[in-house]
Order: sequence, then C-alpha cells, then structure tokens
Amino acid sequence: MKILSDIAALLTGMWITWKHMFRRPVTIQYPEEKRQPYPRYRARIVLTRDPDGGERCVACQLCSAACPVDCISMQPTEDTDGRRSAEWFRINFARCIFCGLCAEACPTLAIQMTPDFEICTRDIMDLVYEKEDLLIDGCGKSSHYNFYRHAGIGVTQPRGNGAEELPPVDVRGLLP
Amino acid sequence: MPKLIIDDIPVEVAEGTTVLEAAQSVDIPIPHFCWHPALGKAGACRVCAVKMLEGPVKGIQMSCMLPVQEGMVVSTTDPEAVAMRRAVIEWLMINHPHDCPVCDEGGECQLQDFTIAGGHGIRRYSGKKRTHVNQYLGPYIEHEMNRCIQCYRCVRFYQEYAGGTDFGVMGSAGRVYFGRFQEGQLESPFSGNLVDICPTGVFTDKTARFRARYWDYDMAPSVCPHCSLGCNTTPVARYRELLKTVARRNEAVNDWFICDRGRFSNSVVNDPLRPRRAVVDSRETGVAEALEALQLRIRDIEEQYGPGSIAVVGSSRMAQEAAELLPQLAHRIGAGALCFSTTRKEQVETLALLELLSAGRSASQQDVRNSDCIVIYGCDPLNEAPMMAMAARQAWRAGAKVYLIGQGISLPCEVTECTALEDVPLAEAERPIIICNVSVRVELLDKLQESHSHLKIAGLFPAANSFGAAQVMRETGAISLEEALADGEIKGIIAIEADIPAALLDGIPFVAALDWLAAAAVQAAQIVIPTTAWVEMDGSYINYEGRAQQFSKVMNPGVPIKGLDPNGHPPHSHRTVAPGGEALPAWQLLATLIKLLDDDSRGLS
Ligand code: SF4
Ligand code: SF4
Ligand code: SF4
Ligand code: SF4
Repeated sequence: MKILSDIAALLTGMWITWKHMFRRPVTIQYPEEKRQPYPRYRARIVLTRDPDGGERCVACQLCSAACPVDCISMQPTEDTDGRRSAEWFRINFARCIFCGLCAEACPTLAIQMTPDFEICTRDIMDLVYEKEDLLIDGCGKSSHYNFYRHAGIGVTQPRGNGAEELPPVDVRGLLP
Repeated sequence: MPKLIIDDIPVEVAEGTTVLEAAQSVDIPIPHFCWHPALGKAGACRVCAVKMLEGPVKGIQMSCMLPVQEGMVVSTTDPEAVAMRRAVIEWLMINHPHDCPVCDEGGECQLQDFTIAGGHGIRRYSGKKRTHVNQYLGPYIEHEMNRCIQCYRCVRFYQEYAGGTDFGVMGSAGRVYFGRFQEGQLESPFSGNLVDICPTGVFTDKTARFRARYWDYDMAPSVCPHCSLGCNTTPVARYRELLKTVARRNEAVNDWFICDRGRFSNSVVNDPLRPRRAVVDSRETGVAEALEALQLRIRDIEEQYGPGSIAVVGSSRMAQEAAELLPQLAHRIGAGALCFSTTRKEQVETLALLELLSAGRSASQQDVRNSDCIVIYGCDPLNEAPMMAMAARQAWRAGAKVYLIGQGISLPCEVTECTALEDVPLAEAERPIIICNVSVRVELLDKLQESHSHLKIAGLFPAANSFGAAQVMRETGAISLEEALADGEIKGIIAIEADIPAALLDGIPFVAALDWLAAAAVQAAQIVIPTTAWVEMDGSYINYEGRAQQFSKVMNPGVPIKGLDPNGHPPHSHRTVAPGGEALPAWQLLATLIKLLDDDSRGLS
C-alpha cells in the first residue's frame, strides 16, 4: 500500500522536526559568543620553524604546485650556509579556499593550518600575506622534525653526519 | 628486418636495434637510466628488465643490451619482469639521500619518474647510506655526488662523446665516484651537457641554482643565437628572468647536445643595462610616441640635408623577419644606404661564402657526423662554432679521417695536419666535407667542387642570422656602413639591432637605435626604442647551411621581478604592462614605422 508508506514517511519527518524543537539549540551568537575550533581546524596558514629555530620551509614549491587555486607563490634562494629557503613567500588569503592540500604536500612540515579563521578585513590587499606575516616562532603541530637532519646536503651537520648516514667514503682508498 | 612481438604488438625494426628501442618505437616505455640514444648501451643500471617468452633467448633479459631477433616474444608486463624492475629500483634508492625538496632536479628527474613508475614508493631499508664529498666544478655546474646511481652516463658522455679528459670515474664497488681528480673548473666546452645527461641531480645548473621548478617554467622551442649553427634549445624563464637553457633534440642539427656558450650565455637577457624604455632626446616616453617622433625626425633630416642623407643599418643578429623589412623601410625613407655589415671586408667575404653555399652543397651537422673525410680548413670550430667540432668528433669516432689545414687549432679528436687542400685524398672519400669560415678563398673551393661533385661544405658565418641577412644584402645591393659613410653624405643613422663601432657614429648629427642590447648606437642615439630579445618573441634565423628555423616566444619582456621591490618581494600594486615590458619585436616596430611613413606621404596623418 503506497499511501500508507507515504504517510509513514511524512510522520517520520514530522517526528524528527518535533524532537529538535525541544532540544538545546546549537546556534551561537557569534561574534558576541565564540567557540574554539578543534586544533586540526583548517584556517589561517602559518610557516613554522624547526626545533633548532631555523626556517623549516625550503621553498621546494610543492605547496604552490598542490594549491588548486594557485594562491601561493615564492622565490627560492640559497643562503650562505647552503640552505635552500624562500627569498619571498606569499599567500593570497583572498583566494585561498583552506583546503589544506599545501600542508599535506609539504615535505618539511613547514606549512601548517591553524584554527584562526578570523582574518576578514576591509581592504582585500591586506589579505596578501608575505613571509614575515606567515612565519611563526614555534614548531606548530610537530615539535621534533628537522628536515635538514635527514637530507644529504649537509646544512645543519657536516656531510655524512646525518641521521641515517655513513661517513663520506675515501674514493682513493685501495681496500676492497 | 627482424619481426618480433612486444606486449602483443607486432613490431618490425632494423637489424641491430635493441629490444628497448623497438618497444619505444611502438610507444611502450621501459624504464632505463644508463641507456641513452646518443651514448648507446652500458648495461649498468639493470632497470630495463623484460621477460622473453618465446624465441632464441628466454627469461629475464636487459632490453637495452639485447639486439632484436626474428621470432622474439617480449613481455614488459610479466610479473617476474615487473618484480625485477621494482627490486632493482629499490636497490638503486638504498643510498639515495632524502633530498628531493632541496634538489634542483626535482620535477624534471628521471630517477623520480622511474622510481614511481617502477613501483617503489615507500622506503623499507632502514640502514645507513653511503655519502660522498662534493667537488667544486667551476661556476656553471653544481656537484652533489650523494644522488648518483652509477649509470655511467656522465663519464661516457664526457670522455667518449665529447672527448674531455679531466673528468672520470674513480673508486670501486659501492664507492664509485664521478668527478675530477682534483677540484676545479671542468675544461670541456661541452661540460654543461652533464646537467642534461645525468638522470639524477648530481649535476645541476649552478647559474639557475634554487630558482624555480619544472612545473613553473616558461619554456618554448627556441634556437641558439650565439653562433651560426643554430642549435636547437629550450630556454627556461621564470618571473621574467631567463634562468637557463637546455638542449633540444634535432637530429639534423645539434642532435642531443649544445655547447657551453649556448647554454650559459643567459645573463645578457637579464642585464639591468638593457634599454627597456623608449627615449626621445634623453626623455623617457612611450613606444608609439617615440615612433612618431622618429618619423618626424626622418622628415626633418631629409629636409635639412636633402634626400638620401639617412642610412638604415641592420645586422646579422636580427631575426629574418626584421631583416626582410629593412629594404622596405629604406625604400620608404629614400635612404642613402642600406647596410647589414660594418666593414667592406665583412660584406665581401659574407657574400662570397653565400654564393659558394647557395649551390645546394652546404653540409648540415648531421652530414658532418656521417662524413668519412673532414677537412678543417683555416677555421677554429671549437671557438667559432663549438658544436661543429663536436660533430667532427662523432665522425672521427665512427672512423672518419679528420684533416687540419691551419695553425694553432685544437680539436676534440685526432687530426692529420696538412699544408694544402691538395694533400687531402678527397677523391677517395665517399662523403667528404670541408669546414671553413668566411675568410676562406672561395675560388679555391669553387674549383675543387667542380672536380669533386660529392664534396660538401660547412661554411661558418659570424652570427646567428648571417646567412639570412646576406641573402637580403645580395637581393637589395646593400653596402657596408664603412662605404656608406665614406663620402660624408650620411647625416642620420637608424640602427636596428646593429653593432656599430662608436667611432663610426662620431659626428653623425642624428642617430636612432632600435635594440635590446646596450650597443654603442644606443648610447649615442637621440631616439632609442627597445626591441625584444629572441626569447621574448617569435621569429626565425637562417643558419650557416641555409636552414630557416623558427623560435617561439619563451617569456614576456620586462624587468625581472628579482630586485624590483626594495622589500624583497614582488610589488603589491597592479598594472597591465610589466615594468620595462613595452618592448616589441623589431619587425613589428619596423612595420609600424613603415605604415607611419606611408600615411604621412599620402597625407593621412
Ligand atoms: S611545500 Fe613546505 S617546504 Fe615546500 S615550499 Fe611549501 S611550505 Fe616550503
Ligand atoms: S636526483 Fe631526483 S630523486 Fe634524487 S633527490 Fe634529486 S629530485 Fe629527488
Ligand atoms: S653522476 Fe649522474 S650520470 Fe654520472 S653515473 Fe651518477 S647518476 Fe649517472
Ligand atoms: S654551437 Fe653555436 S649555435 Fe650551437 S649551442 Fe654552441 S653557440 Fe649555440
């Protein structure tokens, strides 16, 4: 009997509506009332530092390649100690959709999402963040990783002294 | 022609082809590192494994080492072959550093591609990695030995293909090391090809170190402008800065490689001294206004000094499109002279060599590589057109004899020194070629060609489009600037991408310069209009053999973003034209100027 099942469906919907009328509302009166998002909430992006205080970002351009709206741009450069870093690094938050793909792509854990979503301004140009606006003083969500301790190019330690490395070979050695 | 079946696709290829090439010919890619079309096989990396199902050999085989034979049935997807390739790649990666984010090869790395393609995604080996100390190899090439996978491509190229002696392989077993015996600049004039040939990031271009990634590059097929050979290149730009140049394959021309001059001469395009804005009487202005001012000034000069008082000067470095428009401009102005060369000697020599080659006898670089008898006649290929010396070396490697007539010339191959052309047994050779330059005595070669009908000539010209400019010269009766200025009638010079010695410009009341280089004429000119460099426009050059080759626009003209803003990052303002981005190709400026002059003479303006 189709008519009976239709009535049943109507009543079920009705029942759910009625049930919620007597529950406590989830709506809050923002901005008078605020709620702290979860730590993994995806909002304003930061660039973090490694545990030794160095800039984590190596300007590898993976985040800018991963970004579906192309709002990240940067220029890599070589520091005097051989470290690869960003000469400038820009995120246009007017365009960013906070998808988190950049943070997922980052091999050094440099770029991270924070729960700070309140970045609206009246002048849209203020939403163009440069490196000095993005760089924070801490490690963010991962407190121990330092990419250069594992890379082979020898920046934070002499070549051959990295975490998984043997000392450099003596190419003129005669031993087999 | 043996027939075989690869992955159910029947293939028929020439005798001596390897299974790997046969598979490539039907678009079946097989991962490989050590095999390279220009270097041949080495069997060093073991990654091109396939399974032979039927035929004279059976089981897992290295496809790069195996010549095809009738009746072979090959599978590249057999589980055994796939497992073998995956295992080999995993071994190759055991010592590989955790470097991709800080490696300039990343994104254009064969090792990355084939590691993923081979199915090795996650590292299982947790032991320690062997490491190496790098060497300083000069200002052009960066060395990072930890990334080496021992494919031997570099040393095979450097020593065998290019004839270099100061770079090789040292050590044994897991310690093999590719470098120089002692640190120092690589001596070969072809050393830059190590960057292209190494499938990993051991050798990277130091001049473009940490500048950009492959997926952000502005790239287009182009032609090298640094000598008359016209080797095919792919220049790479980013943020209006020409970063590097890599070789582009053209079998008939440079094949796989280019010389270091062609690769590392990128800074001229980024030069801060380049004329970027139009200038009229020391005042910066727009290009359109400057063209109008030029048109008025042309009329003024003619009124003041009479008709025929202006010389239109081009050059052999301008693109052919502009060279072809110069006679039209000269005609509209009623110019007293049209010049493409500075001295009379240059003019006569270039035209004479053009006559000699126009007979359909000029030799391409491929002809040189396939020749069996090469005569280097009074020229220095290694300095004038380095890839020509490389081509001669390839012929020598294949068994050709190379004869040298001339003093103090070194070549990357064994030569037999002679004193005269008569000493060379040209008649015995099947594909003889004489390599010469514009200073050659043309009558001599002309005579020789009559008696040796199969003789070909590679005549090296001084600049990228000398051949094309010489053709226009010949058709229009252009004269040299020296001759044009001799009687003192010329009172105005319009120099279009022309390298005129400052002395010749002295005492000329009016000079206008259209150029992208800060040439002497630009310094002396009252009106300067910026043109685009070859990488900033579409155009063509005609190379030494008369081969017209097109090049495409790689980047937009303009001051590089680097250094534009004192805050270190790009400006926060919007504009439609980049700073210094008003430059136009010379042909476009010439066409506009011709139209302005036409309108003016018809009373339209
Ligand atoms: S992916 Fe990470 S390390 Fe690479 S450029 Fe982006 S923030 Fe920097
Ligand atoms: S050579 Fe290739 S795989 Fe190795 S670090 Fe460089 S980009 Fe990565
Ligand atoms: S340096 Fe590069 S080309 Fe040479 S053997 Fe190693 S990986 Fe191959
Ligand atoms: S040989 Fe000449 S055309 Fe070829 S790359 Fe070198 S400079 Fe350029």
